[in-house]
Amino acid sequence: MRARLGARGTAALWAGKLTASLSRGLRRGGGTTLPGDVSRWVDPRILTKLSRSLTDGTIVVTGTNGKTTTAALVRHILEAQGRTSVANQAGANLIFGVTAAVLNRTSWSGSVPATVGLFEIDEASLPRLVQEVAPGTIVVTNLFRDQLDRYGELETTAAHIRRALVQGPEGMTAVLNADDPMVAALGDDLPRVIYAGLDDASLLRPELSHGADAKFCPRCGSAFVFEGVYFGHVGHYHCPRGDFSRPTPDVRATSVLIEGMERMRLRVTDGSQEAGVEVPLSGLYNAYNIVMALAAAKAMGVPLARSAAALRDFTPAFGRMERTVIDGRPAVLLLAKNPTGFNEVLRTAIQFGKARSFLLALNDRIADGQDVSWIWDVDFEQLKDVAQHIVVSGDRALDLRVRLKYAQIPADRIEVVSDWRDALQHAARATPDGEMLFVLPTYTAMLELRAVLTRDGALQPYWQGRSVDAKPQGPDGAGGQQDRDVGDVTENGDRRHHGRRSRAEGAEHE
Amino acid sequence: MTEPVLRIAHLYADEMNIYGDRGNILTLQRRAEWRGIPVEVRAIGQGPSPDLSDIDLIFWGGGQDRDQELVFTDAARHKVQAIQAAIDGGAVALAVCGGYQLLGEYYVTADGKRLPGLGLVDLHTVPGSRRNIGNIVIETSTLGLDPPTLVGFENHSGKTYLGAGLHPLGRVLRGAGNNGEDGAEGVAAGNIFGTYLHGSLLPKNPHFADLLLERALQRRGPTRLEPLDDSVEMSAHDSVRQVVLKR
Repeated sequence: MRARLGARGTAALWAGKLTASLSRGLRRGGGTTLPGDVSRWVDPRILTKLSRSLTDGTIVVTGTNGKTTTAALVRHILEAQGRTSVANQAGANLIFGVTAAVLNRTSWSGSVPATVGLFEIDEASLPRLVQEVAPGTIVVTNLFRDQLDRYGELETTAAHIRRALVQGPEGMTAVLNADDPMVAALGDDLPRVIYAGLDDASLLRPELSHGADAKFCPRCGSAFVFEGVYFGHVGHYHCPRGDFSRPTPDVRATSVLIEGMERMRLRVTDGSQEAGVEVPLSGLYNAYNIVMALAAAKAMGVPLARSAAALRDFTPAFGRMERTVIDGRPAVLLLAKNPTGFNEVLRTAIQFGKARSFLLALNDRIADGQDVSWIWDVDFEQLKDVAQHIVVSGDRALDLRVRLKYAQIPADRIEVVSDWRDALQHAARATPDGEMLFVLPTYTAMLELRAVLTRDGALQPYWQGRSVDAKPQGPDGAGGQQDRDVGDVTENGDRRHHGRRSRAEGAEHE
Repeated sequence: MTEPVLRIAHLYADEMNIYGDRGNILTLQRRAEWRGIPVEVRAIGQGPSPDLSDIDLIFWGGGQDRDQELVFTDAARHKVQAIQAAIDGGAVALAVCGGYQLLGEYYVTADGKRLPGLGLVDLHTVPGSRRNIGNIVIETSTLGLDPPTLVGFENHSGKTYLGAGLHPLGRVLRGAGNNGEDGAEGVAAGNIFGTYLHGSLLPKNPHFADLLLERALQRRGPTRLEPLDDSVEMSAHDSVRQVVLKR
């Protein structure tokens, strides 16, 4: 549909698209956000104007972990229903990245060939995005400690989200994780909430993990009683004084069965329907991404059974359980960027992947968090009895090396390799026949490792991700057109740009 | 199990642990155990006065701003005497970030509220206009550490000032330190140590971890710790020091 842009909006559109072409021509990179900056400078309302042409509205996904996968799942469901979407790329999750993503898809004449917008957004940028695009649905996945040097603290993050939810447009639905106390508490006083959660008691564990965050009742400050957690502080809980308890989820998985790294099967009910859901993902944390996505689809009017059917041929988002072959060895990339994420990825690799060979990569750039103390909240002790070989790499490889020593992993199983290609090669060669290499990098480390793998032809560049308007071309679902024109982006350079932006935005909201 | 020889109290382990404080506890514990010294770690939370009379080393870390007030109130009401008695009996105390601020006479919050601290050391903290975030390297002079440097990461907006005659833990080589003005970082007052350095502090500064352990064990008679192979720890220390000082 053609957007009503006016003279200024049209100028902004052209300026943005011109910037994208120029940066492509100059091979200067920055293609995933710079057009957004330029266009917004010409018309600060450009995103609002363009998003009005999305007839099915906009879905926004926020939270600490699982944004990218949840957004990708929702997108996959909606596209299977014949709705075309415009979405921002993983990582370009600030207002500039969202603007650039929409500009990219918009023609020079101002028509947007999509009916629905699907944006993942950094928590601090959420209030602004909500103001600009007036989303019909906001999904909040979870809240964990993450990058304290950027945002200060979890309370601040929750406050950003609360403000956005309260200021959201009339009729907006909030899709909230019932099992994360801080997220569930956001539903207070909101007119339309769909809670999602897990109800498989066989998977509950008795103890809170180190560095669990939401341990106290938001109303009275008493320590929550946890009947059990699935991971981190996510589980079944109540306040001993009765001030707050876990809301009964509207969309809930009554059983979760994980079959290796290949797939998982869930029984899901939404009160009116029940469905079996089979998804080619692994790990309990992905069970949450799945129920959150099903709840978001429900908010968009897609019946549970149809959503369930659509997810069978889902393909993982880049760096999130992405498969490749390195030096002849099968390998899987598992982004691990904060204590809870890292713990769950490790647990999944060990429990379901029978992992014994690892490459761990720790960077300390702005997008990773410059403070690496968080690695002391990760249970690397899990690796003590299983890891046969661990390659450690990245800017702060030596910090990670110390952490592994104090997890009492024998020194002869650990190798510090600073060059990325060497690290990949050493790790692959140390992986025994018939086994898989597990690569666990922080954000910018993942981009750099992927850049090496892409150059070597083992992976596709990240901007050639899943298509929005074309049907998947191959069995792996790759081969889209949409983002190919962002040019020769230097992946890490681009993300550093976001990092700076993000701090500026965070400050603006404080 | 062997009778613990070293008893560590982790104060407010649930409320104040956001900057990888577990790394400090783990380092103390492992480095004692690697020398055949059995360790007991006791988590002490909010609530009535705990018995700390058999404790050799007390540690407390940093928390979120919201929890800071909760902890200050509890500490002033329930913990002052127990901690003071333990220290008088020869125990060692290490306080990091928010814990360091709690050590002093008072702390003024960002919205101007004045919270009385434990009053163990004559220092106070007032809000600053900017947050000091980044890697930090300091140089100690009076502790006999080799190398004399400590490395870490700081993240605080509070500005801390030491009373007259008090020695800082070290002088800032790079970073802000106590207040970004006088070049001082932390405090070393007898067996009480406070600092803004986390990252975590002790894993990358094993020489300082050993100093704390040695002093804590003095209570049980003169102690010389056997040296350990610290090449892994010190390579991380040296790498941070080099990168930060080069900037």
